[in-house]
Amino acid sequence: MDSPIAQVLALIKELLDSLQAAVAPWLPSQQVPAYLAFALYVLMMLGGGLTAVGARNLVRAMMGLILTFLGVSGLYLLMASPFMAFMQLLIYVGAVCVLIFFAIMLTANVPGGQEAKLPGPGGALRGLAVFVAPLAVLGPLLVKHVPDLELALPEATPTSELGRGLIGEDVVPFELISIILLAAMAGAVFLAWRRRPEGRA
Amino acid sequence: MTALTLFFLASLLLLSLGLAGLVTRRTLVGMLISVELMLNGAGLALVAAAKCTAAPDVHGQLTALFVMGLAAAEATLVLAMILVVQRRFGHVKVDDMSVIQAE
Repeated sequence: MDSPIAQVLALIKELLDSLQAAVAPWLPSQQVPAYLAFALYVLMMLGGGLTAVGARNLVRAMMGLILTFLGVSGLYLLMASPFMAFMQLLIYVGAVCVLIFFAIMLTANVPGGQEAKLPGPGGALRGLAVFVAPLAVLGPLLVKHVPDLELALPEATPTSELGRGLIGEDVVPFELISIILLAAMAGAVFLAWRRRPEGRA
Repeated sequence: MTALTLFFLASLLLLSLGLAGLVTRRTLVGMLISVELMLNGAGLALVAAAKCTAAPDVHGQLTALFVMGLAAAEATLVLAMILVVQRRFGHVKVDDMSVIQAE
């Protein structure tokens, strides 16, 4: 005797299977979930990006940015690179967004924030032009010239191989990045250092 | 349309959104958010080029990792600059400042 939950799950699975069987004749069945996931992630990216660019409240813009990061990490998962997806979440959502939040917190001294005023018609027009221009120039080029490669589906690269690459062929960029991070941190501390007023210990 | 084209179009969308934000935003914080959008598009295109072509996979992913590291370093520095500008001008609106010089 199955538990009620198991029965409900079996019913749902049956329904999904029959739905898939009904749709299957029109569509290549294995690709459909992938395309659906792609559409979902791109929608997340688009919605988040529009919020990040257009929101008048900077905290809301940052929330849009987080949504975009989540969408991009989903796209990484779709490309079978889970390590990149986790790094995306760790570095961008975990570190960069916290930094941006600090920046908002340390500067928003105006009620409603410093971005509260809408851009004028000139600014909106410039923004629209800059938004459309790369799409209009690069989009058709991409559609036309990206080669139609017949490849097997990509498989996830083991993290050990990535690590071996870091200490192997890519060791120079790796070390350079560490120097850059050190320099950036030292520079940030130097810039943000508040000198004590004269005459006090 | 191949998967590579689709991923490239997605990263192109991020680039366009970031550029539009960079132009329309009036404060340094808003511009920082837009730059992060564009850098994300760059990483996405790199990983797509690594995964959906016959090119060596590890290189592309590591390059995208380096881009993430650079983005983190850049965000740190920009945060410090925003702090300095805020202290000096009392705001971070880009149109109202023309000189950022040490006292």
